[in-house]
Amino acid sequence: MPIVTRPHFLPGLPQWSRKTLFALALFGICFAFAFPVLWLILTSLRPESGVYYVHRGTEFTLGSFAEVLSDDRIVSAFLNSALISTLATVFSLLVTVSSGYMLSRFTGPASRIWFGTIYVFRCVPYISWVLPLYFVTQSWGIYDTYTGLLLPHVAVHICFFSWLMKGFFDGIDPSMEYAAMIDGCTRWGAFIRVAVPSALPAISALAVLCWLFTWNEFLFALILTGNRVPMITVVMAQFVTEMGLRWNLMAATAVMALVPAFLIALFGQKYVIRGLRI
Amino acid sequence: MAAISLSKLNKHYGSLFHAVKDVDLEIADKEFVALVGPSGCGKSTTLRMIAGLEDITSGDIRIGDRIVNHLPPRDRDIAMVFQNYALYQHMSVYDNLAFGLRNKKTPEAEIKAAIDRAAGMLGLHELLARKPKQLSGGQQQRVALGRCIVRNPEVFLFDEPLSNLDAKLRAQMRIEIKRLHAAIPTTSVFVTHDQVEAMTLGDRVVIMRDGRVQQVGTPLQVYGKPANKFVAGFIGAPAMNFVNVTVRTEGGATAVEATGLKLTVGEAYARALAPYNGKPVIMGARPEHLALGEGAAGLSFDAHVEVVEQLGSEILLETRLGSHGITVARVPAETVIASGDQVRVSVQPGRLHFFDTETELPITG
Repeated sequence: MPIVTRPHFLPGLPQWSRKTLFALALFGICFAFAFPVLWLILTSLRPESGVYYVHRGTEFTLGSFAEVLSDDRIVSAFLNSALISTLATVFSLLVTVSSGYMLSRFTGPASRIWFGTIYVFRCVPYISWVLPLYFVTQSWGIYDTYTGLLLPHVAVHICFFSWLMKGFFDGIDPSMEYAAMIDGCTRWGAFIRVAVPSALPAISALAVLCWLFTWNEFLFALILTGNRVPMITVVMAQFVTEMGLRWNLMAATAVMALVPAFLIALFGQKYVIRGLRI
Repeated sequence: MAAISLSKLNKHYGSLFHAVKDVDLEIADKEFVALVGPSGCGKSTTLRMIAGLEDITSGDIRIGDRIVNHLPPRDRDIAMVFQNYALYQHMSVYDNLAFGLRNKKTPEAEIKAAIDRAAGMLGLHELLARKPKQLSGGQQQRVALGRCIVRNPEVFLFDEPLSNLDAKLRAQMRIEIKRLHAAIPTTSVFVTHDQVEAMTLGDRVVIMRDGRVQQVGTPLQVYGKPANKFVAGFIGAPAMNFVNVTVRTEGGATAVEATGLKLTVGEAYARALAPYNGKPVIMGARPEHLALGEGAAGLSFDAHVEVVEQLGSEILLETRLGSHGITVARVPAETVIASGDQVRVSVQPGRLHFFDTETELPITG
């Protein structure tokens, strides 16, 4: 049997130069992604006078961070974002996990109608939800409240993630649940004690995705909240004033907003990869 | 102490698919019954209805003296082994075994004693701390068996438990299950598509096709006196040979004829075949009841060898007789034979089967 080897790229070059080229290409790609973040961090550390010459000056300060943190509105925006993200994650997982399970295990008309509904809502462009939602929250009197922001987020998560969850449960053998039902569990008991623990990697992955989605979300936060429930993504954009742009403050806020997202992505990464592989 | 009784059991899926049709079956206490049939014959559905995992459309299921038609699985006092083991992946082997008893709020000390006993029987002691993913297929299936016996239920249900194992392991597990049933006699229903498993394990074998029971009987009965052509062809490996023949009675002797074949049948067959004089019937002969060479007078024919399968202990011959393929088993391994050869094949007297071409029922005197 002939041994088939994969052709090298640029076969004319010696191996060391191929490796160097490969390393350079990798570095280039990483740099392209990392550069805006680096620039942002650099900007946040420069005094206001130096923000347009980030690459030149040698003067650095933490003053922008101090100024941002002394602003109650920004601090409360951080807390709001964290709270809403966490609550949205918890509530949407509660629904998404059971709805994904239903879509995977039951084939009756209820399941088909639910599937169709989610499908239709998924096909609607995200942005076209916002205006109707604005009117709904206004008329229900929940505009600019936690509930008014939570409900739309949970709804979006359910539509987007029930499908993913269905896929995870499809990959889990149902006979495990049958065995549990014979071993003394009810249908619900089998779901909670056997199916959910088996799907835990997938659920953790989903939790990470949900949390980041809400934390980074801008459009709902912009339209559905006002002064009472500021969200960090909106507050960040409000440094654009008539008096000019406060780049250094905006950058400092952005850097702080990056940190939790970065940490969650970093530690959640292994769950996301494992969960999405099921 | 539980007999199982199914009466007029039916299962419809929607209005189109009638999966199980009027199944009547009595399974005695402590009996081991094997349900066998080709895939889609309704055997697994029947088992799942006994387990309560599938609703029944009509009919009754009794376990012991209770009608269990609408009881949820957990109240039926049964245990089940699944094809893909169905172990709880997130629990250790010990917790898998303990799960059912803990649900019944059994004291931990009792649970430990029950698990010890089961682990001893199945050689699971070293595996108790492991997770199912760290076990081989055979080990997982032993844990699944263990999970059943610790609960000490009234009925064991097996849903093709050996299908995922390789051939060697399958033979081992078969013996293990047989030993287990001898040690803890419990009413058992075993579903399989493999007739060897059914024949070797079952006190009685139930053969199903298209949702209907074809025959219920001991392994010897279903092999020796098949209830119809389907059972005759399904039970036995290699499968029974079927030849379309015509019955002719001349001068007091009855013969069956096909192209290249004329067999003079004995007294008993002649009597049974008398009403069919001049008509076609289906003749069945098991490969193991054919032999090479001139046998009893008037019971041999010439065939053309197409494939020679050397098994070491014997040779399987695929031969051709007109339009029919005929398999001959038990040819001595040393026989010198090649494809293309012409051979003389003889039938053992008294080992023929005849079936009506219309009803496919056996023709007996």
